Amino acid sequence: MENKKFNFISSEQQLDKEQVRKSLTYWQDVWRRLRKNRLAVLGLIGVGIIFLFAAVGPMLHDREYNTLNLDYKNVPPRLTVFNLDDDYKVFMSEMYHLMLVSEDGKLIDRFELSEDDKDFINRTYTYRLFDEDDNEVAVVVADFTYQTDPVKQQEGIDYSLTYKGTEYKEAEYKTWNKSFYLGTDNNGRDLLARVMFGTGISLIIAFVAAIINLFIGVIYGSISGYSGGTTDIVMMRIVDIINSIPLLLYVILLSVVLKDSWFEVNVLDAIFGAGGLGTIILTLVTVYWVGMARLVRGQILGLKEQEYILAARTIGVPNRKIISKHLVPNALGPIIVSMTMMIPSAVFTEAFLSFIGLGISAPRASLGSLANDGQQFMQTYPYQLLVPALVIAFMMLSFNFLGDGLRDALDPRLRKG
Amino acid sequence: MVSIQTVKGRKRLFQYLKHKLEESRNDMNNYYIKKALFSLLTLFIVITLVFFMLRAIPGGPFTREKPLPDATRERLEAAYGLDKTKFEQYLVYMGNLLKGDLGPSFRKPAYSVNELLATGIPATAKVGALAVVFVVSIGIPLGVISALKANSIIDYGGMIIATIGVTVPSFVIGSLFILLAQHVDFIPVGGLDKPVSFVGPVVALSGYSLAFVTRLTRSSMLEVLRQDYIRTARANGLSETKVIFKHALKNSLIPVITYVGPMIAALMTGSFVIERIFNINGIGRFFTESIGARDYTLVSGVTIFYAGFYIIMVFLVDILYSVIDPRIKLT
Repeated sequence: MENKKFNFISSEQQLDKEQVRKSLTYWQDVWRRLRKNRLAVLGLIGVGIIFLFAAVGPMLHDREYNTLNLDYKNVPPRLTVFNLDDDYKVFMSEMYHLMLVSEDGKLIDRFELSEDDKDFINRTYTYRLFDEDDNEVAVVVADFTYQTDPVKQQEGIDYSLTYKGTEYKEAEYKTWNKSFYLGTDNNGRDLLARVMFGTGISLIIAFVAAIINLFIGVIYGSISGYSGGTTDIVMMRIVDIINSIPLLLYVILLSVVLKDSWFEVNVLDAIFGAGGLGTIILTLVTVYWVGMARLVRGQILGLKEQEYILAARTIGVPNRKIISKHLVPNALGPIIVSMTMMIPSAVFTEAFLSFIGLGISAPRASLGSLANDGQQFMQTYPYQLLVPALVIAFMMLSFNFLGDGLRDALDPRLRKG
Repeated sequence: MVSIQTVKGRKRLFQYLKHKLEESRNDMNNYYIKKALFSLLTLFIVITLVFFMLRAIPGGPFTREKPLPDATRERLEAAYGLDKTKFEQYLVYMGNLLKGDLGPSFRKPAYSVNELLATGIPATAKVGALAVVFVVSIGIPLGVISALKANSIIDYGGMIIATIGVTVPSFVIGSLFILLAQHVDFIPVGGLDKPVSFVGPVVALSGYSLAFVTRLTRSSMLEVLRQDYIRTARANGLSETKVIFKHALKNSLIPVITYVGPMIAALMTGSFVIERIFNINGIGRFFTESIGARDYTLVSGVTIFYAGFYIIMVFLVDILYSVIDPRIKLT
């Protein structure tokens, strides 16, 4: 070939077909794959929303999680409003508290009901509304004979309201509660504020427990897997023993031992505040690292046979460094996935502990304790169970999607479908 | 070098292979024996640990909010052997345990722990066994179908059901079921009197496991379907049924079995939450009540039952492993 056939090109000119692609690091590649997965992105957004809900929510919301509004107990998020002669719009709660409601659904005042006004013979309650100067401005009589009188029972209502001689049997319209968007609990505390606060507590429990578990599990698992032999057998037996004792036994024993102990008062409560938060985290930590240790050990067992480990050992890298620089980083994928799965399961366990009465104590709340409180009144006030349960479900769903997506992104070989 | 061309060579080779096979059989048997011994040791340590842990925590079976007179308490403790040193108590307890006697219940004086367990286990086990059947018979097929029809509507439908199962706590499922039962006449609200009454507890108990097994089966099936030997099987003209049932399913069940083993133990030994919501008198209830009451022997009894069951299941999983996949190295 002759030299003439070739032309020099200037340095600015580039060949058309040359493809310039930035070389991606492993994590950039992971991020790229994660973004492509729609469910994972949804999960990520969901996790973001949950965090914002717990962290920023309480700042935007003007009600406190622990303020008692004894006038407005168990008010639902959806109000059925009676329109009394266009003068007053009132709402009757399931507890037979009568409340004055504004046009747009705000609770203004509660009608007073003195003991003398409860007529148990005629089954009527007389509610009175007073203005600021204690002048009686309105009187409403509730007739409960609809629950007992055989003829009136046919109408299928619980009560009627009588105002200025007119009897109102049916509520006129429904409106959303604008004072307490998600209603109030049995002590009149705003449920929205409590759910926000509870979400925060649940997240703290989950994250602190997951991070501590991560450390214990990774260290324990990698030592066990890397050492092999008798050390491995003994360490795995210990894991088996911890696994075969029921979780509940530890939890109850730990909470009994810790209760009012020096350690709880001076260490746990000092870090996490009162209400048993520290105890719950400690309990989760003592049991949950076991799964992580198993996983890490399994990974290390496979990795330690690889040539690069052999190479590292040949040139005399100390064991501690082989574990921390070569083995653990290579097992990071499954570890991260297991972390994202550990967070929802910690929330679950915490919910379970709250259910059996070993959880966060009032006035503090977690999603689990809220669901448990709601569960007691679910017949009459189903919203008190549904709201925290929905938040739990949303949280689980988000973390699960994110975890699945991360697994696929970190290790494309495992990609589903 | 052995030559298979000669009769003598073939004989030697045959004998060598026979010898190797026997050796590996012996290895297997040794492995099982070793595992069994380790399992027993684990159980022994668990029993010992629980024994001393329980006695280390404050309070005792005869401590009440309103204290008993000292003389009464001392006589009660003497009657149950609690006045001896802890180590002596331990020896007595272990001696009785070897004879199969779990001792008397401290807080239910008329009953022995054996009797209490005998009343509690059937209810718990019935619900648990049904839940296991439910999980295995629905979860595995659903996972397989989802994997075969990956990214179709069936797949998404199955996965949505599975995800809901993982995302809703069992006590919420249980509570919602009770709420439903109050509006539907033929579903009883609690207890286990009618066959229909098993529906609620079983569904609530198996929700999480069902979802987990479905997802696990699906992803492991997908993994196996991508393997070379599946392609080879298809290339050889095997029918799709044969490929799936004979080659793919068997291999994809390995991770599922790992999870199902301990799961069976967990489901069979009952969930306290489910038993409380549905008002079932099972051992889960005994367990929590007895810890609160410091009924040492009852707690130990339930724990032994639970741990024993768990350890046996883990042991069986190990054996099943090598049956399904002979490549798995036994160490």
